[in-house]
Amino acid sequence: MQVGVCKQEMLQKKNAVLVDGVILNGPIMDSKVGEKFVEEACKIIMEEVVQKADDVTEKVCEWQAPEKLKQILDLEMRDTGECHQKILQLCRDVIKYSVKTNHPRFFNQLYAGIDYYSLVARFITEALNPSVYTYEVSPVFLLVEEAVIKKMIEFIGWEEGDGIFNPGGSVSNMYAMNLARYKFCPEIKEKGLSGLPRLVLFASEECHYSMKKAASFLGIGTENVYFIQTDERGKMIPEELEKQVQRARKEGSAPFLVCATAGTTVLGAFDPLDKIADICEKHGLWLHVDASWGGSALISRKHRRLLHGIHRADSVAWNPHKMLLAGIQCCALLVKDNSGLLKKCYSAEAAYLFQQDKFYDVSYDTGDKSIQCSRRPDAFKFWLMWKALGTTGLEERVNRALALARYLVEEIKKREGFQLLLEPEYANVCFWYIPPSLRKMEDGPEFWQKLHQVAPVIKERMMKKGSMMLGYQPHRGKVNFFRQVVISPQVSREDMDFLLDEIELLAEDL
Amino acid sequence: MCPPHFPHHLPYLSLSLPCPPLTPPCPRVPPGHPRFFNQLFSGLDHHALAGRFLTETLNTTPYTYEVAPVLLLMEEQVLAKLRELVGWSSGDGIFAPGGSMSNMLAMNVARFQRFPESRSRGNWDLPRLGLFASQESHYSILKGAALLGIGTDNVHLVRTDERGKMIPEELEKEIQRVKAEGSEPLFVCATSGTTVLGSFDPLDAIADVCARHGLWLHVDAAWGGSALLSPQLRHLLAGIHRYVPPPVPLRRCSPSQIPGLLQRCHGMGATYLFQRDKFYDVSLDTGDKSPQCGRRADGLKLWILWKAVGTRGLARRVERAYLLEQVKRREGFQLVMEPEFLNLCFWFIPPSLRGQHSSPEFWDKLGKVAPAIKEKMMRRGSMMVGYQPHGSRVNFFRQIITNPAVTRRDLDFFLDEIQELGRDL
Repeated sequence: MQVGVCKQEMLQKKNAVLVDGVILNGPIMDSKVGEKFVEEACKIIMEEVVQKADDVTEKVCEWQAPEKLKQILDLEMRDTGECHQKILQLCRDVIKYSVKTNHPRFFNQLYAGIDYYSLVARFITEALNPSVYTYEVSPVFLLVEEAVIKKMIEFIGWEEGDGIFNPGGSVSNMYAMNLARYKFCPEIKEKGLSGLPRLVLFASEECHYSMKKAASFLGIGTENVYFIQTDERGKMIPEELEKQVQRARKEGSAPFLVCATAGTTVLGAFDPLDKIADICEKHGLWLHVDASWGGSALISRKHRRLLHGIHRADSVAWNPHKMLLAGIQCCALLVKDNSGLLKKCYSAEAAYLFQQDKFYDVSYDTGDKSIQCSRRPDAFKFWLMWKALGTTGLEERVNRALALARYLVEEIKKREGFQLLLEPEYANVCFWYIPPSLRKMEDGPEFWQKLHQVAPVIKERMMKKGSMMLGYQPHRGKVNFFRQVVISPQVSREDMDFLLDEIELLAEDL
Repeated sequence: MCPPHFPHHLPYLSLSLPCPPLTPPCPRVPPGHPRFFNQLFSGLDHHALAGRFLTETLNTTPYTYEVAPVLLLMEEQVLAKLRELVGWSSGDGIFAPGGSMSNMLAMNVARFQRFPESRSRGNWDLPRLGLFASQESHYSILKGAALLGIGTDNVHLVRTDERGKMIPEELEKEIQRVKAEGSEPLFVCATSGTTVLGSFDPLDAIADVCARHGLWLHVDAAWGGSALLSPQLRHLLAGIHRYVPPPVPLRRCSPSQIPGLLQRCHGMGATYLFQRDKFYDVSLDTGDKSPQCGRRADGLKLWILWKAVGTRGLARRVERAYLLEQVKRREGFQLVMEPEFLNLCFWFIPPSLRGQHSSPEFWDKLGKVAPAIKEKMMRRGSMMVGYQPHGSRVNFFRQIITNPAVTRRDLDFFLDEIQELGRDL
């Protein structure tokens, strides 16, 4: 950048032009300096994040209280910029104080680990900065998205279908809800809901909270989500669904959608899709399967039975960024209907973007089937990873994660003080840790009250130590328990042993 | 620049899965190129790019402080800075995956504020609502109305003047008309920087109308909001501070002036994520104010860019805009209208059509020129610029320069190239 050179000099160089007080000549960015900056930043990223990603001796998190962290980070954005050395130091600080979700002992969420192919793909898309709405602007990424959707549909078991990548499973669920509503009554797109019968949808009581957010957002209302009772394993009870549908009809409301969950957030339970599909067919209801978490089991020949019946769904949400490590965000909504329903439901046919007189086949301009305008090429990282690993490589990942979960379950059963909530079907291992001081206590409200306080303390200690991260929550009348989730192929059997040892250590004096 | 490949040629790329050997695809149409003028984004900023690489590698969602402490604090800082630019000393905000979503969030929050029970009861027993936006507004308003269950019929598009700006008197008329029909006006979306023409609605006058009727004023400044950075250009958004809430544009976030409203509107308090008994102040777990759960940490790239370049550096970029004079000087180029911002809209009239404005087929023939030139430039791979029909106007080019790497030579080339490609049409 030409800092400090006076205006006159700049105007003399190379026939510059002064317009509205702005000097127009060469670019105002020094590309060489910028490129060097990118190289140095990448070096830091490689050294501090990528190369340390699988090192268990590194901390998972460098805990700082918020007020302290604000001071350390120098967050303020000022009038003038800072020099590159300062910016690079800021990058180092950002890395240091960020939680290392790539770490083998990060078990806190339904995502973890690092996939190197996906990471490279993401660097490519960031550098290219495309938006996947039209073929002219994003030919490769658009075709890649189509190919990935086609492949995912194959795994669901449909012969054909449609789909789109979204910024989140929550958004996929929203899409599905709106699509089902549009199918039920296409006029709603133009007329809205005012004055219509009350629409009602059904989901299990274990479903993801995005169903409520979507119902509210779409103007359906959270009250009109009828939650269906689940059994002791967290699975929707089909007979209860039937009852609720009948009830809704009697009330004079208009049922239109059932959302089954394949892999619930906390317990990792899978609803019985075949039976639910029977009920949907009987009553003419759209069946959406939220397989954001559990969908990846479809890739494993061993475990795909968990989603038996999924081909009967009308729509499926599936997030490869969870179990398959495709990188946040990578979320697909797949739709069985191949008659252009997505497009009919969502299109607005903006003339400045979707011109009909282009010189190529404009049916490739698929952006108009999205709620969004600009959209990220999220399918590409999944595609590159799939090309690198092959279906068998992805399958191995899923099988291994579930085998590790099984190993952990067996170890938990052997160890005193650890108590499983239930026998898991998937990668969620839910358990309590009962410290020695509570082990002799009688089962009763006082016991549970005290136990409820144990997990938060252990969590605080593990975070301040930085040794690992694991989530806890109360759930359906049960006091705080840990939810261990196994995803990353960098996780070893030793890490599972460590998990249990560390909890014991941290809770020694409780 | 873009070797032309058409859909039927691309299968060589081996898209089927899986299929060794690994063949990475090559980029075809890089938006970073100095001659990519096709959309409202372009260019490659090295600082933001480093920020994006870092965001990808950190791979997390900023919903809670425990999982993303730095990214969450950073987002709050950026949002506060953007509110400062708007002219608010307090308020709220969230990053969203797109200007379209920001507009929809705003619509939802407006509905919730007026009818808090609609969150749980839904829309079905509400009166028909009325939404207003200019004829030039972004199509996401329509998409939002459909998605939110309000209905596209209830979006009333207000007439604009010859410069593409909403006419406040027409807005007043529309509101009255809609009221008389028994609907309940709720929400006015003013646009600061329309997509095609780059016009700025008169915010003060529109705010007056909204105040009179008690309507929520949303300003879609997804495109034009960056003018707030420039002391020279911020007058275009005069009045933006007056009401709630504009989605300020420097990428995808929607501040709102009423603290807590976003949380009350969208929050569901999922107990597995937003536990109340954490060991730190849980008011920092701001993820629940979004309708999303998982979300990209979009604040980091903007923060790094801002730290590196400073507010003044960003302002310089916005100010360095168009070469309007050249277009006016050259024969065969005709402006659609005098631009306010970075959108330069013009027709190229090939020699064969010059002087024939009065002929009945003139406009018809002119409408075919831009698509033909576009095809030629793409096959040649020399540059990219968008065209569209608009209202009653036939296809015209929309030139947009946001890339700081663009030089005067590139702009001269741009005009030369159009002349050359259109010469014998």
